[in-house]
Amino acid sequence: MREKIIIGLALFAGALLAWNMNTIFTALPDELNQGAIYRIIYFHVPANILGMLGFGAGMLLSVGYLTTKDLRYDALAASVTEVALVFASIGLATGSIWARIIWGVWWAWDVRLTSWLVCWLIFGGYLMLRRAVEEPNQRARFAAVVSVLGTVNAYISYKSIEWWNTQHPQPVLSLRNGGGMAPGMEAPIYWNLLALACFAAILVMVRVRQEAFAREIDTLRRMVHAQ
Amino acid sequence: MNRNVEYMLLGLAAAWLIMFLYVVLITLRERKLRKELDRVRRMVEHPNK
Repeated sequence: MREKIIIGLALFAGALLAWNMNTIFTALPDELNQGAIYRIIYFHVPANILGMLGFGAGMLLSVGYLTTKDLRYDALAASVTEVALVFASIGLATGSIWARIIWGVWWAWDVRLTSWLVCWLIFGGYLMLRRAVEEPNQRARFAAVVSVLGTVNAYISYKSIEWWNTQHPQPVLSLRNGGGMAPGMEAPIYWNLLALACFAAILVMVRVRQEAFAREIDTLRRMVHAQ
Repeated sequence: MNRNVEYMLLGLAAAWLIMFLYVVLITLRERKLRKELDRVRRMVEHPNK
């Protein structure tokens, strides 16, 4: 059943992405000031939204583990957080390439960029911590604390463009009272968000299965040692 | 579509490269886990081997 869901989601996401890419590259004109480079927004914004939502979901699942001590919450939190980190990496990389053209530099130590980089480092540390701690309950507890701290930082990063004067652009999506884009240019961002969310769901499903394998291996190893 | 096309393509390539590398990574991890699971299962079923 899981395989069928994964294949279905992959086909849907692939078709949606192909259709949307066609719109972005053939139907939409260049942006007046930025030229073609503005199209990076169609990956940059959805990737960062998925990164932030993933970190938030990971934190809620971590709190779920802390309150119930059920390791399945921890496994799901680890899976969601790892996939969110991949999308945050895409957000950072695409943002840096956009900045090279628009700002003339690859990186600026702006509040938004710096806080998001710190967030990325915290969740990179989260994954390293999980590899370093052997005992499952201790690992889950430590990881949950890091997840909560990292998500607080993610929220600060999200709000930073409202709280401080930043070099990073102000919100452009009308959902966030931005309204800086024409509706025809804004819609493909949401379609790409949907397609990438489907890919994220597939990756999380695969990672959850791997976590289940790892738990089974751990249980069987204990049985072998007990024999 | 003329200005800054190279950097736009670089951005898209970077996005897909990161995604591709992650897919390769989890595919290799899946293979390793399945192999290890089979090995440990055999050890449980035939402890004297």
